[in-house]
Amino acid sequence: MTTQTPVIDAPTTPQAPREDYLNCSKGFMSWAGTLDHKRIGLMYLVGVGIAFLCGGLFALLVRLHLWEPEGMLFSNVDYNKIFTLHGAFMVFLFVIPAIPGSIGNMVLPLMVGAKDVALPRLNLLSFYLWLSGAVLATLAIIMGGFDTGWTFYAPYSIYTDQAVVTIGLAIFILGFSSIFTGLNFIVTVHKLRAPGMTWFRLPLFVWALYATSILQVLATPVLGITVLLVAFERLYNIGIFDPRLGGDPVLFEHFFWFYSHPAVYIMVLPAFGIVSELVSVHSRKPLFGYKLIAFSSLAIAIISFLVWGHHMFTSGQSTYAMFAFSFLTFFVAIPTAIKEFSWVATVWKGSVALNSPMLYTLAFLVIFAIGGLTGVILGALNVDLHLHDTYFVVAHFHYVMMGSIALAFFAGLHHWWPKMFGKMYNEALAKVACLIIFVGFNLTFLPQFIMGSRGMPRRYASYVPEYAPYHQASTIGALILGAGVALMVFYLVSSLFTGKKAKENQWGGVTLDWHTATPPVHLNFDEEPKVIHEVYDYSTLDMESLQRDAT
Amino acid sequence: MINFLTQEPQNPQEPPPWDGVAPPEIDTWGQLPKLASDFHDVDGLFYFTYAVCIFFFVLIVGVLAYSMVAHRRKTWDQPALSNFTHNTPLEVIWTVIPLIIVMIMFAWGFKGSLDMTTTPQAAKTNTYKATAKQWNWTFTYPNHPTPSFGEVYVVADKPVQFYLESTDVLHAFYVPQMRVKRDVIPGRFQSVWFTPHFTREHTGDGPRIETMHLFCAEYCGQDHSRMYAKVHVVEQDYFDTAPWDQWPADDAPLEDLVKAGEGLYKQQCISCHSVDGSPGTGPSWKGLFTKDANGEYVGRQREVLVGGAPQTITVDDAYITESIYDPEAKKVAEEPYVRNAMSVFKPDTIDERRVKGLIAFMKSLAD
Repeated sequence: MTTQTPVIDAPTTPQAPREDYLNCSKGFMSWAGTLDHKRIGLMYLVGVGIAFLCGGLFALLVRLHLWEPEGMLFSNVDYNKIFTLHGAFMVFLFVIPAIPGSIGNMVLPLMVGAKDVALPRLNLLSFYLWLSGAVLATLAIIMGGFDTGWTFYAPYSIYTDQAVVTIGLAIFILGFSSIFTGLNFIVTVHKLRAPGMTWFRLPLFVWALYATSILQVLATPVLGITVLLVAFERLYNIGIFDPRLGGDPVLFEHFFWFYSHPAVYIMVLPAFGIVSELVSVHSRKPLFGYKLIAFSSLAIAIISFLVWGHHMFTSGQSTYAMFAFSFLTFFVAIPTAIKEFSWVATVWKGSVALNSPMLYTLAFLVIFAIGGLTGVILGALNVDLHLHDTYFVVAHFHYVMMGSIALAFFAGLHHWWPKMFGKMYNEALAKVACLIIFVGFNLTFLPQFIMGSRGMPRRYASYVPEYAPYHQASTIGALILGAGVALMVFYLVSSLFTGKKAKENQWGGVTLDWHTATPPVHLNFDEEPKVIHEVYDYSTLDMESLQRDAT
Repeated sequence: MINFLTQEPQNPQEPPPWDGVAPPEIDTWGQLPKLASDFHDVDGLFYFTYAVCIFFFVLIVGVLAYSMVAHRRKTWDQPALSNFTHNTPLEVIWTVIPLIIVMIMFAWGFKGSLDMTTTPQAAKTNTYKATAKQWNWTFTYPNHPTPSFGEVYVVADKPVQFYLESTDVLHAFYVPQMRVKRDVIPGRFQSVWFTPHFTREHTGDGPRIETMHLFCAEYCGQDHSRMYAKVHVVEQDYFDTAPWDQWPADDAPLEDLVKAGEGLYKQQCISCHSVDGSPGTGPSWKGLFTKDANGEYVGRQREVLVGGAPQTITVDDAYITESIYDPEAKKVAEEPYVRNAMSVFKPDTIDERRVKGLIAFMKSLAD
């Protein structure tokens, strides 16, 4: 036997990192001009993340000012501008676009087994429209801000000498971002499902985004037109809303809320979708009542167009209007309750993993119970006459918008983070942050229910001294909440630099998004997936993939 | 940043408008201020719904908490205990029972709202007007000429209706203890009604007055949070003395009359008539009277138009009284006063005693 060079098993050259959507192309233009839904989703994530932090900063300023009954920090005008900016930034730049734009974009095509969305260029345009709206909103601040409240009620929004037209234009443009995203998702779900992916094998996050998209396309144009009407009224004194010219201020309220009520379902339905996914994966159990959850999303979307008047019970509606709006408001609570019960039933007798995405999800289930139930309290006509425009309403909508939607957003971020980046964040810190956020959130908003029903009106720069203990408790809660969010941002961002490698299938999911590489390749799948089993069938779970590091 | 955060923080020199008003007592369950009207359905339905909510909350959190412990994943490959995805009896129960409960809530709330939006005859015969403007409230009484500013007196146990009007933007009339709230919409009349009651025991010797908060509850700009009024619930006897309308008695010292006249001038006349000679919508009051060698007040001469023809008259009490009630009779023959019109004042809004006070004030300006 001649001497042979030993065969070396281990490679002598360092292995080139596997190509994925993050490193497959480099340079500014490969991101700025990308058509990859995953990269667009990431850009949205950065954008809405910054908008969320700005909106949160305004919130902290509001809460600090209200530490003292006479107001601690600002003049009345400045306080009014700050609470307006808090609402406008949060609603238009964060809560409405965040989940569909970031997590939706990243995950929807993966879940249906497609290479991308149906209209990738429209997707990129949607992002740039969002960005333009954000720039214009910032410009409105530089121009001195506006103090109309995020609801812009006429005739104050017509008379006030501030940057209303600028922010109106920003909202108009943001509306198109929303409409185009909705359109894109509807077409994607109809046309790009992989073979074998029937409608009832779609993950519930897809159903949720589908229902949301219908609302985005049908409702948002009404807001666009309303904002244009306000701009024209200001510029050309047409007399639609200005009573001095024969206009009707209540007409503005109808137009505004006709969009803005469906808008709150645009905000919450995607959050419901995330929760559906997470309770299943982290209980390793199929969803209880899949079809009911899917159909309830559609039912909520349709009924949501019929309840807008419950924001206007004190405006002198006719008896018939009050009857109809209150009745339908109670009615829409039922599909929502069915979802909540179904999620709880999904957790029951599952294999319940108490990891950070699940902790955020469980926090959602508790907080949303309060948020949804207090909505029922507000639906009663005579009770609403007492509670309207008090802190009770403020507490209710923060329980659903912040405590539910934002928490579901955080849960989704934690759940799909390892998939999107191939890295894991510090799980121990994540659990601590979740606890801090939960405690801080409840301390901020529970006292607001009490002072609201005791008569404390909203949008007040100063207040009667008997409410001071509640305001102060709320402010302390806000600081704790802020600290929790700051911690969360810290460990999420650091994971990108120093995080451990994620597992191939970190949590043991079985939907198609978990059948991709971690992180996914540019076109998502090496070959077109063929769906042969039901959607939440955990008997198909490849247990090895939970232990293997991502390549 | 132009115009943003450039204003001084609020450090008011004056105390807030609610200074000195005792906070309302809170009801037994702690969530509502003591009810001072008859709208018990609000409280009943509020607490019923609250109880239902607490029940479902405890149920949901209880099941989740139990599951988080009993069904916890202990090994990484532990499967679910059960893969059930349906339970028809359960699904029927948790759809039908909530549906029945919310329909009860709806019906109860609707009936309560009908009560609150249907003004009874007794309240219609006791109609006040609340005028909202940025950023204060003016209340007009049914049988009394003088309005009150920033406060309103209502009679205990007597139903009252308020017509609501705004002269500028949206406001809202909100009295938490009465459980009433209604938007005040420019260009439209709205109304609210309620029957006020005392909620506290009467202590002390003075007249029985219970003061409650009235807030503006629709954002209206800068001083929305300062747009406050006091609602004084009083007894009929005390109400009949018109406590908001305190004019010096006829035998009060002259300086009281002059001071009251000055106060009225500042409320009603100052927007058009100056006292220092500067021009306005109406002629200045400077120089109407002068003092003669004996210290008596003597009116000066002035040119007026009587029926279009110029005439010289001497200012005296009769001339001033006539000019308030019938300003076109003898208009000052100067531009722009000849062309400008004065607001309408009649004896029911400014009575003879008040005219005397204004005249006393005008005389006090004499040089």
